[in-house]
Amino acid sequence: MKENFLKIAQQRAWTRREFLRSAAGVSAGTAISRFSPLHAAIRDKKRKTVVVTFGGGARDEETFAPQGQENIPHLLGELIPQATFCTQVVNRGILGHYVATASLATGVYETFDNFANVAPSHPTVFEYYRKGLSRPANDTWVIAPSNGFNCIGQSNGSQIAPGYGAQVILPKHLLAAALGPQHPNLGDFNFLLQDNFEDPLSTPPLVKTDISLSHLNEILHLSVEDFTRHAQTLSSADELSVFVMRQLMRQFAPSLLWITLHDMDVAHSGAYSLYIDGIRRTDRLCVEIWQAIESDPEYRGHTTMFILPDFGRDSDFDAGGNGFQHHRTGDPLSRTTWMMVLGPRIRQNVTVDRPLNSLDLVPTLGALIGFPTPHAQGKPILEVT
Amino acid sequence: MQPHELRSESFSHYPPQGRAFAVKHLVVLRQIPLVLLPILLREIIEYDWCFPVEQRILVRQFDYLETLQTSSLASLMAPFAAVRLPADISKIDWVNQPQRFSEQLSALLWSTQQIDNYRKAALQYQEQLKQVLVDKPPAMPRFTIVIVGQGVSQTHASLFRLLRPQGALFTAVQPDQGMETLVKFVNERAQNCPGQYAHWYIDGGQADATCGAQQGITVTSYNELAPVALKELNLIERFVERTGKTASVGPEAVQSFMAALSPTDLGLRGSADDAVLRHFEVKLLTEGAGTQVFSTTFVQWATREAMRRAQPITMLARFAPRQRMAPMNELLKRNPLTQQTDPEGSLVDADMGAYYTWINQGRLAGADQARFLAWFEGHGLAVAIAPSLPRDTTSGAATNMRKILEWMS
Repeated sequence: MKENFLKIAQQRAWTRREFLRSAAGVSAGTAISRFSPLHAAIRDKKRKTVVVTFGGGARDEETFAPQGQENIPHLLGELIPQATFCTQVVNRGILGHYVATASLATGVYETFDNFANVAPSHPTVFEYYRKGLSRPANDTWVIAPSNGFNCIGQSNGSQIAPGYGAQVILPKHLLAAALGPQHPNLGDFNFLLQDNFEDPLSTPPLVKTDISLSHLNEILHLSVEDFTRHAQTLSSADELSVFVMRQLMRQFAPSLLWITLHDMDVAHSGAYSLYIDGIRRTDRLCVEIWQAIESDPEYRGHTTMFILPDFGRDSDFDAGGNGFQHHRTGDPLSRTTWMMVLGPRIRQNVTVDRPLNSLDLVPTLGALIGFPTPHAQGKPILEVT
Repeated sequence: MQPHELRSESFSHYPPQGRAFAVKHLVVLRQIPLVLLPILLREIIEYDWCFPVEQRILVRQFDYLETLQTSSLASLMAPFAAVRLPADISKIDWVNQPQRFSEQLSALLWSTQQIDNYRKAALQYQEQLKQVLVDKPPAMPRFTIVIVGQGVSQTHASLFRLLRPQGALFTAVQPDQGMETLVKFVNERAQNCPGQYAHWYIDGGQADATCGAQQGITVTSYNELAPVALKELNLIERFVERTGKTASVGPEAVQSFMAALSPTDLGLRGSADDAVLRHFEVKLLTEGAGTQVFSTTFVQWATREAMRRAQPITMLARFAPRQRMAPMNELLKRNPLTQQTDPEGSLVDADMGAYYTWINQGRLAGADQARFLAWFEGHGLAVAIAPSLPRDTTSGAATNMRKILEWMS
């Protein structure tokens, strides 16, 4: 079983690499020996890191496979040529979006109920970062897609004392608060306020929020009116998240910024066209995020961006699933995904084919930025550190 | 309670046929590990409303297990027995509430990182059964027809891209009388090889009245079930409101509530003769995600489930435009039949649905002889997959549906 899993995962990685080679002219090969050890020694004090995760995996069939390329023109045409692309990132944890994203953020496979309103059991990368580098609270933020993510910024305190977490902002919650229950055009905003697609019948209540409406002006430098007015021009919740992210960049220029995009998880409704729309929007938003980084003097030239789905989705050929709709089988394709890294001193147009683990993200961030991650279980990805 | 403690009385709340089945196979049931047993009991509880094929498969499965020596059965069950379960999970009333047990088990397997081992055990078990209980091919080759694109006058989508390598693409099919020809063809098959639940017609809109029970066809349609789905969603909303006053309502609670809904709860009435179909329809709406709100999802899932469970020899699946996307809370409350539709998006949904239907047909016995036809309704594009047709070919010659069906036969 394990051999079969690895074989399928490797085949998938091979397909990605071959496709990238033909579509974007990416050179293959890990060539670790070509990395300069000096990179690790040079620490840019202005260094910033942006992590973009997709809560709602996108399969190769709709992205990197030949028939999927039309859905990701920006990733392929604009970001891949600048990036080191890891073709085989395996998630061996629970395939639920909150718990999987929390696992990405802690470097340990968290085991709590995906729909529970709980903090991760292990220290988050935000805590490692702030504690390790003595950074202030406003230096690290999480832009989260739904109520269920509101505890992701800080672990439950069992290993690091509370107080080092990231501030978590829930754009949908903020917009709902800005509009108020009596807003005359509340219905016009409903498409930005959908909490999640996997469990549309019950929205988890918020147990805590870092950002209240009264702080809107202070945090985002926006009046309630400006915020709602701008929201009216947006077509999706992910666009709202990216808008909030840009405001945070302008206001605080945080050094560690984590954003989770979620539109593509509409796949749970079974409408393939909507899932594809979500992927195409995410593709565009990833480039917009990079453009925002490159156009901001605080970020330009100092920022490393990681892009990775939390996991994949079920294979068309696993009888236990229903193809793209869900991620419930635990089959190799639902567990195998990719990661893209770009920024200063990251090699461009290169693929890494060896199997990586989702848990490698936190140690990699620690090695790259220079803070210890003692409880994380992955290993630094040498090709990007 | 542990499996070895099962007694005949344990099944006193089961429906009559299910109870008789469980009592008959009590000796084997006692030897099945707890991790697997409630999953089998879920099927036994439903026995009274299973399709004939499902009943036959369940009987054969248990007959086979009974032929095994104790040591062989233990060996077959060993991978399941190796899954570690906490003692308190056996306190759940898994005999009468196997669904609840399964939900807890699922959460446990994921959180303890045993899901891969469980998956491996399940695949091994299924493979063993498959080898022993070889399905016979159907009396006549299976024939599946999928119709997509209703309401679309033109499209830029490259249709049937995933199906083309498997068969012949026809680009100049005379569209006139296409639907009538296909309905006639399906009706003739039902007449030539009659059988309970052997011939199906699933429509994403209003079903064609000339293809139905009178012709020996089992029919279900989104238009017929949309009011039922609305009732279901109302009941869920009330449940969440009611329960939410005293406790938080998680997805498991909602799922358990949905699983307990009956045709009567949802206002699905009919004769005793069609009780199996009514229960099937309830499952479509309570177990399928998105089937309530999008007709395209309904057709894809209903076709998949009908093929998996009833294993028909004829399937006619016709997609229709679904309602436009809206915020989920609106989708869950409004009548989908009175909304603006999204024909172009529905075509993309249906194109993928056609591909999935072909995959699902390939899972059934006699797949090598099966026929599959997908047609862009009202247009000249169709893809035909049959042993008699070359793969990955395109024909631009003028033809009609009748001729294509002849070539496929």
